[in-house]
Amino acid sequence: MLSGKEELLNKLKEAAVNGDADEVTKLSKKVIEIGIDPLEAVEKALITGVLELGEKWINGEAFIVDMIAAAEAMKAGLSILKEEIVKRGGSIKYRGKIVIGTVEGDIHDIGKSIVASLLEAAGYEVIDLGVDVPAQKFIEAIKQYNPDIIGMSALMTTTMLKQREIIEAIKQANLRDKVKIIVGGAPTTEDWAKEIGADGWAPDAASAVELVKKLLK
Amino acid sequence: MAKPRIKVLSDEEILEIHWRSLSILSKVGVKVDHKEALELLKSIGSEVNLNSRVAKIPEYIVKEALDKTPNIVRLYYRDGKRFIELYGDNTYFDVGSAAYYYMDYKTNEIRRPVSRDLAEVAKVADFLPNTHIMSTALVPSDVPEIIADRWRMYIVTKNCTKPIDTGAFTLEGIPDAVKIMASIIGEENVSKKPFMIFAACPSPPLKWSELTTQNLMDCAKYGIPAHIIPMPQTGGTSPATLAGSIVQSNAEVLAGLVIAQFTKPGSPVVYSGSPTVFDQRFATSCTGYIEVGLISAAFSQLAKFYNIPSAAYTMVSDSKTVDLQSAIESSLGALISVLSGINMAIGSGMLLEENCISLIKLVIDDDIAGSTLRFAKGVHVDVDTLAEEVIREAGPGGLFLKHKHTREWWRKEHYIPRLFDKRTYDMWRKLGSKDLNTVAKENIEKILKEHTVEPLPQDIEKELNETMKNIAHKYGIKKLPEI
Repeated sequence: MLSGKEELLNKLKEAAVNGDADEVTKLSKKVIEIGIDPLEAVEKALITGVLELGEKWINGEAFIVDMIAAAEAMKAGLSILKEEIVKRGGSIKYRGKIVIGTVEGDIHDIGKSIVASLLEAAGYEVIDLGVDVPAQKFIEAIKQYNPDIIGMSALMTTTMLKQREIIEAIKQANLRDKVKIIVGGAPTTEDWAKEIGADGWAPDAASAVELVKKLLK
Repeated sequence: MAKPRIKVLSDEEILEIHWRSLSILSKVGVKVDHKEALELLKSIGSEVNLNSRVAKIPEYIVKEALDKTPNIVRLYYRDGKRFIELYGDNTYFDVGSAAYYYMDYKTNEIRRPVSRDLAEVAKVADFLPNTHIMSTALVPSDVPEIIADRWRMYIVTKNCTKPIDTGAFTLEGIPDAVKIMASIIGEENVSKKPFMIFAACPSPPLKWSELTTQNLMDCAKYGIPAHIIPMPQTGGTSPATLAGSIVQSNAEVLAGLVIAQFTKPGSPVVYSGSPTVFDQRFATSCTGYIEVGLISAAFSQLAKFYNIPSAAYTMVSDSKTVDLQSAIESSLGALISVLSGINMAIGSGMLLEENCISLIKLVIDDDIAGSTLRFAKGVHVDVDTLAEEVIREAGPGGLFLKHKHTREWWRKEHYIPRLFDKRTYDMWRKLGSKDLNTVAKENIEKILKEHTVEPLPQDIEKELNETMKNIAHKYGIKKLPEI
C-alpha cells in the first residue's frame, strides 16, 4: 500500500508527465493543504516526471509538444509550490539560470522557445526575452538576473551577424566575463560560434541542453 | 469530404471495354484445358469444341455469373477473430508471392531461399503496420519441389498471424491447403473464416490451364477466396495497346468468374491482375512501367463496375537491387493503388520482375504504403480541424507548440514514417550518417530480435505439424527442414 503522501506525489508526477497543467495546479494546492514538504513535491514529482519524459523524447518515444506541455505543467506547479517553499525558509535549487532570446531583426520564435522549454524541463531557470531582442536588452538582463548563460538564436544569415554585434556590446559593457554565451539557429555553425567568441554552439534543441549541462558542470 | 481519387477510364469507355470482352468471349472464346470445366461450360449453354477445348461463352451466362459473385471478400487472420474486408475503395498492402529468389538482407546477395528465410519474411510482415496481408512469398529450395507450395503455407501460417495470399503449384494444392487451414480453425470454419486467398492465373491470351482451372474450381467448391490474375504482356501475349490488353484480360477474368460461379454460386472471387509491359528492347516482362499502373487502375474500375473486389501487382519493381528505381516504382504503384481504390495492392518487397523478395525493400515499402494510405484519406475538414479558435488564440506571431490542440491533433493528422529520415543534418551525422537501406537493415534486425509472433495454441500447432507431415508422407518425404 502506498501512503497518502506517496500516492499524491505519484499523481502529481503523472499529471506533469501528461502535461495537464490544471491537474498539476489542483494537486499542488493539495500538497500544501495536507502539509507535504513542497520542495520534495517539486523534486520527486515535478522534476523527476519531466526528466523521465525528456528521456523518452530523446529516444523518440515522445513528441516535442508533449515535452513542452509537461514543462508548462511543471511551471504551473512551481508557481504554487514556490511560495510555500519560501514561506518555509527554503528555495528551489535550479541547476542554473539561463537568459534566452532571438536576436534583433529576427522574429523566429519556435527554435528558441523549444530550447527554453527543454531547459526548463531539464531543471534550469529560464528567462525568455522573446524575439527581436536588441543588445541593450541582453545587457540589462545580465545585470538584473545575473544568469550563468546567455543564449542567442538567429534563423537568418542576415540576423546571424547580430550575434557578433551583441557579444561585442556585452564586452563593451564589461560583462563578458560574468556570463557564458551560447549561440544557435539554422545558419549558424560551430566555426561561426568560435569566430565570434561564443562559448558554445548547438545544432539542435536537444544538443543545446547537453551543451548547457557541459558548460555548467 | 472529397477524397483524392483517380479514374483512367470514362463510364462510356468502361462499357465499351465490357462489350468488347463479351464479344470476344462469345465469338472467339477461351481455351480451357480441363475436361470437367468444359463439360460444365457446355451444360450451361456455352458452345464448346471438345477437340480444340475452346468454349464460346454467351453474354447472358457472364451476366448470371456476375450476379452470383459476392461484393465483399473477407480475409481472416488465423485466429479467426480479426479480419480485413476487400470492397469499395479500401486498400490493403500485400507481400508479393512465390518468388524464386531471395535477396539476403545481410549480404545483399541474390540466391535461392531456404525455409528459414521465408519464416523471417513472415515474422517481419507480421510486425509491419502497413503491410496487411502476408503471402507465401518465397519458394524454399530446401524441400522437394512437389510439396514446396504447401510447405510455404505451413511456414507462413506458423510465423505470421495475418491473412495469407498464396497459390497451389499442384492439383492437390488446394485440398491440402484446406487441410492446413482446418487444422488451425476447424474444418467447419474453412469457408466461414478462411485466412488464405488463392491465386488463379489464366495464361494469356485467352487460356485457362488444367492446373489453374482445377485450383479455381477447388476454391469454389470449398468456398474459399480466389483472385483471378490476368497477366498480359503488352506486345507479347496481349496487344501492344493498353486498351487491347485490358479487353483481353477482362475476358479472361470473366471466363474465370463463369467457371467459379457455376461450380458453386456465391464463390468469393477477386478481380486481380499482374499486367506487365513486354520490353521490346530486352524481351523482359516489366512490372514497374508506369503503364502497369494505368492498366491496374483500369482493372480496378472494371471491378467496381462489376461490383466485385479488386487487386493488382502494383508494388513490384524491375530493379535488381534496392535503390532509387525500386523506391520510385513502388511509390508510384502504391499511390496509384490507393488513388484508384485497388483493394489488394500486391508485391511489397518484390524485385526482379516478381522473381525476388527483399526484406530491405519490404520494410521500406511499408513506409511507402503508410504514406500513400494517409494521402488517400485526404484533408479532414471540420470545426476542430479548421481550428479557427486556435488560430485566434495564438494570434499574429504566436506559436502553436504550447497549444493543447497541437498535442491532440499532430499525431492524428500525420503519417509518421518509421524509417524515412526527418532529423537535422547534425543529428543524422551523429547517428552515423546512415542511408535508408542501412536504416532498413537495422530495422529488420530489430524486428527479428524483438517481435514475437502470437504463438499457436500447443494442441493446434501439434495438429498443424501432423497435417504437414501427412502431406509430405504422401510423396514419401520423411525429412523436412527445421525452421
